[in-house]
Amino acid sequence: MPDSDNVRLRLPSTIKAGDIVQVRALVLHPMERVERDAQGKIVQKNYNYVNKVIVTYLGKTILTFDTSQGVAENPFFSFTFRATAPGPLKVEFLDTTGGRFERTTDVKLS
Amino acid sequence: MGGMTEDHLMTRRTALGALGALGVVAAGGFVVGAPATARAQVLGLNESVQETMKRLFGDRPIKDGEAVIKVDFPPIAENGSVVPISVTVESPMTPASYVRHIYVVADKNRIPFVTRATLAPEAGRAFMGANIRLGETGDLRAIVEQSDGTLLMVKREVKVTVGGCGG
Repeated sequence: MPDSDNVRLRLPSTIKAGDIVQVRALVLHPMERVERDAQGKIVQKNYNYVNKVIVTYLGKTILTFDTSQGVAENPFFSFTFRATAPGPLKVEFLDTTGGRFERTTDVKLS
Repeated sequence: MGGMTEDHLMTRRTALGALGALGVVAAGGFVVGAPATARAQVLGLNESVQETMKRLFGDRPIKDGEAVIKVDFPPIAENGSVVPISVTVESPMTPASYVRHIYVVADKNRIPFVTRATLAPEAGRAFMGANIRLGETGDLRAIVEQSDGTLLMVKREVKVTVGGCGG
């Protein structure tokens, strides 16, 4: 799966082995809100919002988020990981319509 | 005039409450064996915060977490559509003892469940941050589940100037 232009990842510029690194991740996504008709009744449909975020480092899932529509439009998350070895850090965003947005960055240790 | 608006709101609220209750019953039916996406949607239902807490934690005791949970919730959120929050737990992150889940629940949101972070020891620190929505002024809760099953909670009131949950 190629990197999606909708996903942005931000890591510190230098990472040393053993550091606990804070990552900031953002996906451009509408995160549709619940709609109601004139009577205040919820419109039943499959709302398009991100409901799962998966973070993988060195091939192991280190963190996941399950989310509802209570997360803001263009969801932003931050989290940490312990940089034990150089390798790929992947962040995937899954939405309720089957959409999948991901980006992988190479963690380099200095 | 003002009185009329109030009455209208009250009936709308009451009607919504009833609808919400129906929704929970209907949703309960397909929880078993539902695919991952459907289950994730069930995490966030239109219901009261009491129902959310009951559904997520059942009758398990929840202890006060003031000593170990550090929440960064803004006291005043001018724009409810984007409210930056973060939660840090002072806890070891070793395979023997770590923080497994961090839940964020907004009492006054129509869908109180906001997010659940599931952590592995490799995360290094029990920390999560996100931008969330808040419908109106009310308590925001962070509930932490440790690897031994202990539940800890802290609450903060967040004043919302302009609500951000729309419908």
